[in-house]
Amino acid sequence: MSLEGVQTVGSARRRTARTADGLPEGRVRRALGSRRIRDLGLKVTGVLTVLVALELCARLGVLSRDWFPPMTDTYVELAKLAFGHPLWTEIGRTLSGWALGIGLAALLAIPIGVLLGSNRTAYRLSRVVIEFCRPVPSVALIPLAVLVYGVGLEMKVFLIVFVTFWPILLQVIYGVQDVDPLVYDTARSYGLPPRARFFRITLPSAAPYIATGLRIASAIALVLAVTAELVVGAPGLGQSIVVAQSNANLPRMYALIIVTGLVGWALNTAFQAIERRLLRWHPSQRAEVAS
Amino acid sequence: MLEVANLRKVYGPDPHAAPAVADLTFTVADREFVCILGSSGCGKTTMLRCLSGLIPSTSGHISLRGKPVTGPPDDMAFVFQDYSRSLLPWMTVRRNVAFPLRYKGVDRREAEALTDEALDAVGLAGRGDRYPWQLSGGMQQRVAIARALAYRPSILLMDEPFASVDAQTRSGLEDLLLGVWERYGITVLFVTHDIDEAVYLADRVLVLRPPANVGHEVTVNLPRGRDQVETKAHPEFGRLRGELFAALDGGPVAA
Repeated sequence: MSLEGVQTVGSARRRTARTADGLPEGRVRRALGSRRIRDLGLKVTGVLTVLVALELCARLGVLSRDWFPPMTDTYVELAKLAFGHPLWTEIGRTLSGWALGIGLAALLAIPIGVLLGSNRTAYRLSRVVIEFCRPVPSVALIPLAVLVYGVGLEMKVFLIVFVTFWPILLQVIYGVQDVDPLVYDTARSYGLPPRARFFRITLPSAAPYIATGLRIASAIALVLAVTAELVVGAPGLGQSIVVAQSNANLPRMYALIIVTGLVGWALNTAFQAIERRLLRWHPSQRAEVAS
Repeated sequence: MLEVANLRKVYGPDPHAAPAVADLTFTVADREFVCILGSSGCGKTTMLRCLSGLIPSTSGHISLRGKPVTGPPDDMAFVFQDYSRSLLPWMTVRRNVAFPLRYKGVDRREAEALTDEALDAVGLAGRGDRYPWQLSGGMQQRVAIARALAYRPSILLMDEPFASVDAQTRSGLEDLLLGVWERYGITVLFVTHDIDEAVYLADRVLVLRPPANVGHEVTVNLPRGRDQVETKAHPEFGRLRGELFAALDGGPVAA
């Protein structure tokens, strides 16, 4: 993680240095393009190496067939699943829990966070409560959720809302508290009424923090949805994994695990793409750097 | 006309604590260019924040064109030193200049026209669609000036606006400011710690001593149509600069 960060900073610096040298932008872009292709090539090679190694391990009996089928079987199963309806229904079930949960959590956490972030007393009053509720391990709440809501969608949504509310709330509070006082002064000196100050200044300023909160919440929400399905047997991807395992359909079980991973990856990629688009003005997303 | 009488500002609840501004009295005539000169920590920023209505004063009186200042007045614009923070990075240059106009009740078409004119006046006509952070520091400060001009203030308050740009850019911005001051017929109250800058720009220079009050005042009789080389070579320029240097230095030493 930290290594990756260092690399990005380094490459950004190199990029500016090159443009500053007065090289035509096209050449820089082409050089960057060829590097991107090389990076992609390396990534693909890495993945293929792991897959081939796993395949060999399974075929040569290094890993027992009792619990590890050859990767090719898993991929054949994955392809079969992809063209059948049940898989997409299961994904839809997991994702609907995810979306409802995260949506409700955001709907609650954003206004409350704005309130707590802009009022010192309210923030101090609520801090202990937040610090106490936040670290409660989410899984510990499953029995309560089942007791109250049964084993369906509502149970999943409750769990996700309860757990993802905190990271979103904290990010919103930090974002609102971090609005530059000079920006407020500017807005006030130009006579912006409080409402306009909120929508034109506070919200856009806090947006990068809110986006981070939502991205963190998204990952947690998926883990929770799948956990609830696995443990309680609520319908969704998690439950399908348990069913495949108890039917001794190992390729299917692995295929579903891969699907779960892909769903997580897709959600994260989508969040990053949206952030890049909406927050292109923010220093973390800027492609161009002023001289 | 801006009138400041017996202005006093004390921070905190105790009215007898050491004041940041004490017994400050001066007036600025319409269309006058007044520089306030003071070393750092003499209360310049506090004074400006009181004048602009951003913070309330403890006692004393401020009025702009006869109306007492209790909050940010409609016909006043403020240019801050830190342009990179006072421009909004999520808005393009155009939107940065135009957005305050909506809250002043200017209709959209007129706002567009005012924005175009202001950007043109600061030489940024073609840069409206860029973002502030894509521009150099000097250009960013020009955007801030354009935003102030588009607002059509009768008075412009400037808090060391050119203190964080390089010398070359700075003299360019000084000339640009003098140009728009004449063209728009506005009053300018310009705070600086730079003696040369004060003499070069102003009709009148007020020296501020801590806690902010006017310790010395000079009228600058240099001809208008000022020029970075000629004006600064004028014997009067050297004399005023010496006088102000002594006034700044000779004040009571702050604790």
